[in-house]
Amino acid sequence: MSFIPGIGLVRGMGLTLRRFFQPKATIRWPEEKADVAPKFRGRLQLLYDEYGSLKCETCFQCAQACPIECIDMGGMDTKGRFHVHWGPAETYGERREESALRRSGRPVADPMYARFEAIDLAAVDEILEAHDYDPKGMLAILEETQAAYGYLPVAALKHISRVTGAWYATIYGTATYYRHLRFEPPTVETAAPAGEAQRAVEAGYRSALDVALGYAPGNPA
Amino acid sequence: MTTSEKPHQHPSLDDPRVMLDDQIGQFEAVPPYPPRTEREAEFYSLRDGEMFVNMGPQHPSTHGVLRVVLKINGEQVVDLDPVLGYLHRGVEKLCENSDYHHIISQIDPLEYVSSLFMEWAPVMAFEKLLDVEVPRRAEYIRVLTGELLRVSSHILYQGWMALDLGGLAPILYSFIERDEIVEMLAAITGQRMLFNYFRIGGVNGDLNHEFMSRLGDWMSRAAKQHEANIGLLNENEIFVRRMRDIGRLDGATALRMGASGPNLRAAGVPFDVRRAHPYSVYPELEFDIPTRGGNGGGDSLDRYLLRLDEVSQSIRIIDQCLHNMPDGPIMARLPRLLRPRPGRAWAAVEAPRGLFGTYVISDGTDQPFRMKIHDPSFVHLQLVGLLMKNNLLADTMAVMASLDPVMGGIDK
Amino acid sequence: MTALNRTWGHLTLTGKVVIPLLFLVLVVGPIVTIFFATVVGPWLADLLGANLEIVRFVVAIGGILLFSIPAAFIIIYMELKVIAFMNLRIGPDRVGPKGAAHSLVAGLKVLTKEDFSPTGVDHVVFTWAPVIVFLTAVMTFLVIPFGPGLVGQDFNIGLLYMFAVGGMAVVGLLLAGWSSSNKYSLLGGLRAAAQMVSYEIPLTLSVVGLILLAGTMSLNRIAEAQAGWFTDWFVFRQPLGALIFFIAATAEANRTPFDMAEADSEIVAGFATEYSGMRFGFLFFAEYVNVFIISALLTTLFFGAWNAPIDINAILAAFGLSPITVSLDPGSLGVGLLIALLVVPVILTLIFAAPFYLTKSSRPAWQALVLGFLVVTLVGIALIGLLGYIGLPWLGGLIWFMLKSFLFVYVFVWMRGTFPRVRIDQLMGFAWKWLLPVSLLNLFVTAAAILIVKS
Repeated sequence: MSFIPGIGLVRGMGLTLRRFFQPKATIRWPEEKADVAPKFRGRLQLLYDEYGSLKCETCFQCAQACPIECIDMGGMDTKGRFHVHWGPAETYGERREESALRRSGRPVADPMYARFEAIDLAAVDEILEAHDYDPKGMLAILEETQAAYGYLPVAALKHISRVTGAWYATIYGTATYYRHLRFEPPTVETAAPAGEAQRAVEAGYRSALDVALGYAPGNPA
Repeated sequence: MTTSEKPHQHPSLDDPRVMLDDQIGQFEAVPPYPPRTEREAEFYSLRDGEMFVNMGPQHPSTHGVLRVVLKINGEQVVDLDPVLGYLHRGVEKLCENSDYHHIISQIDPLEYVSSLFMEWAPVMAFEKLLDVEVPRRAEYIRVLTGELLRVSSHILYQGWMALDLGGLAPILYSFIERDEIVEMLAAITGQRMLFNYFRIGGVNGDLNHEFMSRLGDWMSRAAKQHEANIGLLNENEIFVRRMRDIGRLDGATALRMGASGPNLRAAGVPFDVRRAHPYSVYPELEFDIPTRGGNGGGDSLDRYLLRLDEVSQSIRIIDQCLHNMPDGPIMARLPRLLRPRPGRAWAAVEAPRGLFGTYVISDGTDQPFRMKIHDPSFVHLQLVGLLMKNNLLADTMAVMASLDPVMGGIDK
Repeated sequence: MTALNRTWGHLTLTGKVVIPLLFLVLVVGPIVTIFFATVVGPWLADLLGANLEIVRFVVAIGGILLFSIPAAFIIIYMELKVIAFMNLRIGPDRVGPKGAAHSLVAGLKVLTKEDFSPTGVDHVVFTWAPVIVFLTAVMTFLVIPFGPGLVGQDFNIGLLYMFAVGGMAVVGLLLAGWSSSNKYSLLGGLRAAAQMVSYEIPLTLSVVGLILLAGTMSLNRIAEAQAGWFTDWFVFRQPLGALIFFIAATAEANRTPFDMAEADSEIVAGFATEYSGMRFGFLFFAEYVNVFIISALLTTLFFGAWNAPIDINAILAAFGLSPITVSLDPGSLGVGLLIALLVVPVILTLIFAAPFYLTKSSRPAWQALVLGFLVVTLVGIALIGLLGYIGLPWLGGLIWFMLKSFLFVYVFVWMRGTFPRVRIDQLMGFAWKWLLPVSLLNLFVTAAAILIVKS
């Protein structure tokens, strides 16, 4: 029959018409539940034994074994200390941002993490004090840090992260989003006077910008 | 705030400190640096009447996040450049920092559609390094589950091949059948998709009653269902005309480009890893190697039909496995902390998409020094550019879908 | 006025609503009513009476506009459910009973979306393109005969009007594709324009044979010419024309297998990629209104429009009986009417409740009565429907027309759920190399046959 042009199309339509009347394969959740095998391990729940007590003893073996470190547990340890955590930092607001790489104990050849230049952090402390340690004004903090040092040193960012509680990755991300923030010291051509004079220059630039954009002086909009 | 003349602009565009001010309207496919290779120079130079169209990473039909830059002249595709990396997870690096046991769960998501084969190759490589002998029952279970997954993967291929061509119905039928098989596998492995089932030296769980009853149900209907699947789209004129003579790949080109699996067999070369480099218990099993496209290579229709042929062979293998299943342990006895001898091992399996292999370099510690993954979809993606020369835009999807790529494996 | 303000301040919220309402109803209402009844009313009635045609026209287009949106909703719901059933799944079933309110809610959702237009579009064109597409779709409703006497405007070039206005949708699609500054939309718009223009020709040519046979381009008269048995329908006299019309109309409406323009596998939504919110709603509704239009055209031209398949009066005449007519005069019963209205339903409820009560012993009496009442209501509605069908010719015609149109809508939706897409060059080749010559052949054969029969 395949020599009649179009007969395949009609047979296809016949098939779909037959399927129109067949029982549907959809399972109407939550009224009906699927037939799940007893061995299915996709349920995220702690199990109870037949006496009604929780089987989990928080022995940390699951957290230690998990290759992607997605298990975290917290509670009291034997000395009564709270905040005992074993797990990735992101799931709890802990400020341990060391990567799994570092935790594995292998040497990490990463200049950013292993070694960064120590600098005098007094200026950073001053700036943070002025902003009341609020990470919500991160852009202003970063701009002032850059004004103080000429660029954004890693040590300064680490210090800001440690003190404000914001994650280093977030601060780094904010800094990379704006083009006027830089991580390298300025080259000879773009060398700017450091410190007080630099801040004055930046302030002058900002006021000129405000005028150009039509912001009224003192108007926060 | 100053008001801007253009309505509905994001307020950040007024702020000169934001990055986007001089990039509006320049979201071109052309990269902002000068061409670094000859191929880039050739590709990014436009002749009269040509333009770039970016089939971006977010697209309903690129099998995952794949960006394809097309140089088209009207409706005809002059050149094609796939841009990878949107799904890159650093799997090889993750494997370097995981214990040998952990690698199995890391490497599952490579070809998430047929993940048991992704576990099989590394596990075979580790067994070579550790000189472990896998019990026969475990081998038979591996073959059984693997072939079941191959059937499910090919049925799904049928569905999304039709979906890329516009037919909305067959993919749902494919998923209904795949659901059956995947529920079956959930009964022994515990998961429906990323199984984490194979272990070094065997498998994790034995066959149980649930699995056997579901498998028996399925096997009793398998042959008839396969007949119905064959008849679903083969006679549909629109479907056949969209696939015939599109993307003709001949054997020599396929071998030169490194194709393997059904794509190679549909080009006329009867190469199957299960027969060429036998592993597991395949030497004891009887099955044929279907080949299509003997003269002049195979087109998309041949690749489609070949995978249907493979399904019937897989059903044959499953049948033999069930009949010849030996008794015994399902896992060899191994220490918990594995430290294989320093050395290198290569193992390859016949995944539904082609030859999937892993090359492991071990340095004596409990984590491998390097694990190189050879993924078949990665190799086949190169074929798209070759097969697409001077075809139409709509055929891009047909060709790409017929090569059956899975982005997880391409981007690793 | 301060006293008024003070009183207003002392009122509660309910008071603030009720007091003005009372004032409106008791004081303003009668004054306005009297004013309208004595002064404005007669003048308005005279005006309308003098221009009855215009009134009829305005009412007709009001009805058409009011009908087109619910029709689109129904077709969208049908598409979702029918394709779902063919795919062995259920489709929407949460929003209303069996998901019936889903398309209504989708329409509302489309209304509430942000009015966003991307950078670089030409705003005027971007906004007006969907309007053009929707307008041309709805304007074609004007000439479709929904029933005997139920036609918006009975042009004697109705068919020409329909193809002319429907062809303007190409302009809308092109504008939509061009104005969104997006290569995908451009490709989609060009594809859509090329496709629609090339399928216009077989579409119009396939019905020329029909026009020759019927002798008129007026859709109303074509519908009348198919009165009688179903063998009088034009599909049996012009089968090839019907087939070509069916295929060409599918391509005109951008339906699968010819929906290259909105192929969501390649060019994400074709010309409609950059559209969102109500603009997309317009394009979306226009497509479904188009589906209804082509089904309606198919029924009108080839399948007898509002004629029933069998001619009951002819059957009765063959048996020597007079045709069924209904002449009701309820007023003649007088008081008996009141008694009948009160007593008859009660008696019938009891009669129909009895089987329910008797067959299942555990059923309480009130439940049986309720079921009996339901049955009485259903029977009453059926009787009224039957009376209406027999007594009012336009009602029967309308019902048949709607049945047939929605049957064809079902066929179009069925095709969407079954077929993959045809490639653009295959599509164009099919139109120019196959449909056009075949429709010309059809035309020549029809014309030759007419000449031979006449001579």
